[in-house]
Amino acid sequence: MAEARPARPGHRRVTGHATRAWEVVRFVYIGGFLLFLLVPLYWMVITSIKPVSDYLAVPPVVFPSEPTIVHYTAALYSYRGMQGLINSLIIASATTVVSVAVGTLMAYSLARFNTGGQHLAFWVLSQRFLPGIAVVLPVFLLYRNYGLNDTHIGMILIYTVFSLPFSVWTMYAYFRQMPVELENAARVDGCSRWQALKMVALPLAAPGIVTAAVFAFIYAWTEFFFALILTSRTAFTLPSIFRSFLGFQGAQYGESSALTVISLVPSIALGLLVQRHLVRGLTLGALHE
Amino acid sequence: MNQQRAAEAPAGAGVSGRSRGKSGRRGVVSAWVDQHFGVLLVLPAVILIVLLSAYPLVYSLWVDFVNYDFQIPGHAFVGLQNFKDAILDPVAGTALVNTVVLSSAMVALELVLGLLLAVAMVRPFRGRGIVMPIFIMPLFMSPAIVGQFWGLLLQRPFGPTDYVLSQVLGHPVTISWLTEAPWNYLAVVLADAWQWTPFMFVILLAGLTSISHELYEAGQLDGASPWHTFFKITLPLVAPILLLAVAFRLLDAVKLFDIIYIMTGGGPGTDTYTAAFYLYERGFQEFHLSQATAGSWIFLILTIPVITVLVRRLLRPEAA
Repeated sequence: MAEARPARPGHRRVTGHATRAWEVVRFVYIGGFLLFLLVPLYWMVITSIKPVSDYLAVPPVVFPSEPTIVHYTAALYSYRGMQGLINSLIIASATTVVSVAVGTLMAYSLARFNTGGQHLAFWVLSQRFLPGIAVVLPVFLLYRNYGLNDTHIGMILIYTVFSLPFSVWTMYAYFRQMPVELENAARVDGCSRWQALKMVALPLAAPGIVTAAVFAFIYAWTEFFFALILTSRTAFTLPSIFRSFLGFQGAQYGESSALTVISLVPSIALGLLVQRHLVRGLTLGALHE
Repeated sequence: MNQQRAAEAPAGAGVSGRSRGKSGRRGVVSAWVDQHFGVLLVLPAVILIVLLSAYPLVYSLWVDFVNYDFQIPGHAFVGLQNFKDAILDPVAGTALVNTVVLSSAMVALELVLGLLLAVAMVRPFRGRGIVMPIFIMPLFMSPAIVGQFWGLLLQRPFGPTDYVLSQVLGHPVTISWLTEAPWNYLAVVLADAWQWTPFMFVILLAGLTSISHELYEAGQLDGASPWHTFFKITLPLVAPILLLAVAFRLLDAVKLFDIIYIMTGGGPGTDTYTAAFYLYERGFQEFHLSQATAGSWIFLILTIPVITVLVRRLLRPEAA
């Protein structure tokens, strides 16, 4: 795509002004969109380091003269951000491990043996689109009966199930493009199917596993709805803390912004790592670049 | 079908037969495992989905027809009363209309902005590698957090939006973006478009990239205007991918909850209730669990046709 195209300059000369005008429009639009994306982020980051007097000032302060980190310590310790951070880490990591392990096995089975035909595939895939509210009402009642509300296990279970479509389909696409001959060769050498999977297919699928893991982690890290309903004082995750900042009445802009920054950094960093596989992840393998 | 390529390898014959001979009971077990390998591998996932998704849904069917209300003791059979309550509730109507209007507005806006951005970004330029990561960042954020900082930007009196608008327009602007119609709808749509336009963009960019350059060059040689090229060549070619992206977004947009909860709280009154927010309020704030469950089944049934079409499309082997 990026290779030199010697034909281009010639064309450009022919169409001259019109092309240049389109180029201007193009970069104005890109710049405008960049601004639209960055301004809210800038405002949030800057609010998180403003002293209280600055964020209540009436021409708004664009850059604080005396930046402070008090909001970060307050968010972590007075608003239980630290506990939320730890909960989020535990829940998202465990979800990632379980979802990817279980999802990889299923994906392998679907890709190599076509287990359950289209029906099983359809069923798993449609989980992705199930309205959360339809599931969470009965899950809440069932969790109540089994003492799973507001527990780490409860959150890990529900997140695993709802990240499974991603894990399964990322891995499915990966296994499908891997030649089956290597596994067959291992079988001929006397490996059982399990050994062929463990020693041949899995190592080859490692990049796919990393991608699936990142998507599962980001899902569990950013999910809000289930966390809001199924957690309260013990297993609350980072996003669900924002319920306590509601109303924008109290002057907690600094604390909430600090917490926002804290929770954004890991998921953005991870997301950018798998940038290349983003399209495949977003469309459950239907498209790839 | 090449899906079954692996199955052609002899299952019980030659290979596992040899290992069975070698090591007695272990061999029998491993031969059994080999024979049922496909099923064994899907078992953990299937069990999890059954326990946490299929079983709860079936259980909720029972909840639909009984009294399950934390304010009224007992689980007496009430027939269709819960459905009647849900359908006749005027707030449910408001919520449904809001859901349809807001999700259409969001997806339409995201589609237009995202398509334009994809067209603008498809040809390489210096700095594209720096701009790309910024454009996709919102996809890795919690919608609750996006709602949070849009609220920060728009709230009155300390948010900068009204101040900046006053300066630009030259007269004082005092819009309560989060509590005043129609601005609160606009605020919610803007926040959603901020987060999900990148989704449209990324998918459409992949679609545009896959269109061969020869087509464009043929068009250019014929002296076609960019306008003409866009509508006659580009758009028809990306149409299938565009529909896929729209279906994905639409199915997520109708579940709109997080930014409503954070930015407007459904208010003022019940003005910005969406379907998901309404069901949440009925179920988890007022604890009319049966009525909410009945409502959620109605909602589910309304979305199932779209889900079915999209998933079937995703399962087609040569997608896109």
